[in-house]
Amino acid sequence: MHTLELTVNGQTCRVEVGLKTTLLEVLRDKLYITSPKVGCNTGDCGTCSVLLDGVLVRSCITNALSVQGKSVTTLEGITEPGDIHPLQKAFHEHYGSQCGFCTPGMILASKALLDVNPSPTRDEVKQALSGNLCRCTGYVKIIDSVLAAADEMKS
Amino acid sequence: MAEGEFYRAASPREAAGLLAQHGGAARVLAGGTDLMVAVNKRKFKPQVLIYLGDAGMSGISQEGDALLIGAATPLNEILASPLVADKAPLLATAIKQMASPAIRNAGTIGGNLANASPAADTATPLLVLGASLKLVGAKGEREVPLAEFFTGPGQSVLAADEIIAQVKVPAQSAEAKWAYRKVGKRKAQSLSVVSVAVYCPLSGGKVSGVAIALGAVAPTPLLATEAAGLLNGKALDEATIAAAAKAAAEATSPIDDARGTAWYRKRASEAVVKQLLTELAG
Repeated sequence: MHTLELTVNGQTCRVEVGLKTTLLEVLRDKLYITSPKVGCNTGDCGTCSVLLDGVLVRSCITNALSVQGKSVTTLEGITEPGDIHPLQKAFHEHYGSQCGFCTPGMILASKALLDVNPSPTRDEVKQALSGNLCRCTGYVKIIDSVLAAADEMKS
Repeated sequence: MAEGEFYRAASPREAAGLLAQHGGAARVLAGGTDLMVAVNKRKFKPQVLIYLGDAGMSGISQEGDALLIGAATPLNEILASPLVADKAPLLATAIKQMASPAIRNAGTIGGNLANASPAADTATPLLVLGASLKLVGAKGEREVPLAEFFTGPGQSVLAADEIIAQVKVPAQSAEAKWAYRKVGKRKAQSLSVVSVAVYCPLSGGKVSGVAIALGAVAPTPLLATEAAGLLNGKALDEATIAAAAKAAAEATSPIDDARGTAWYRKRASEAVVKQLLTELAG
């Protein structure tokens, strides 16, 4: 086994991992952070998405040892505990979430977009979310939620 | 439980040395977007991994009339580069249609080429631009034109102790016309059924040095040299375009797979080449 040290949502963590261990397994099975979900496990569905040094990645196909010393943000870490992020508020108000399984990945992909582009067009939102699959909403309300959050964050 | 060895190579040469030292047991790891899928599907059990993320192989610079792209540069970094947008917009256009933002943040240009998929979407633009690869081995380095790199599906001239360290892309001529189209099941995150890149330098209204490459329609990404030969020195009229498109399709040798049939791929190859050349003529 190998020792992996990383920062997750601001806290330094040290875990033992093997060569096959993914970042998703570290988060869920070792650190009990369960917002990133196990969906396809092949990088296609997007529900395991996290921010790695601020950049959106798939934790299910990120080799754990490749994130040594890096900083990971999951949905749990995008606000202070007890607070709610404008994206979470907008998803709630605009029915951007139904079963909820894709929602953590949707919100992180949206955050990654708004961090670099605070005023996206509808098309830019679609492109930013093109790697996140939702089988409930038909996407319309998710896109509405992201645009509403962008408006709120600007005001 | 023995869990294998994990190395962080500090340079391409060190990575190559580690590959040589461990024989066939070692694999290099960059973004992991292909390798970790194979691990999760239990198609591959790593014994020795050599991580390239700290090997100084990332970044984009200009050398004379060419771009030098580190093999471990993530695809999205290439897409965001003003230098690439200026000197190789054809490459940026192809990358924009690859996978999804999160995959492009991790997946690297070297990984896309080293895996030698016939459907590697960076291969077609790089082939028509005349790109070459710097391969670094345990005993030395060599430069190989991309056109001579692929030998079959998943196969290349890369030796067991070699890695791709850098991709050299000759800058596009400002006067040249170019076009790219990818046909997939959907726009985002789909593997190509057919992809076509065309690079068309012009001189006095006639084309000279045109190149056409097709992806996912042969055992390797394919340079359609005969089709290109039919265009050189000619004006892009309807008959010339039709002949070139036919020749390009004849050069393909596609297979049936989950994404499309050989029958469809051959016809789509002809149609897309014709479309793109017609656009360039207009």
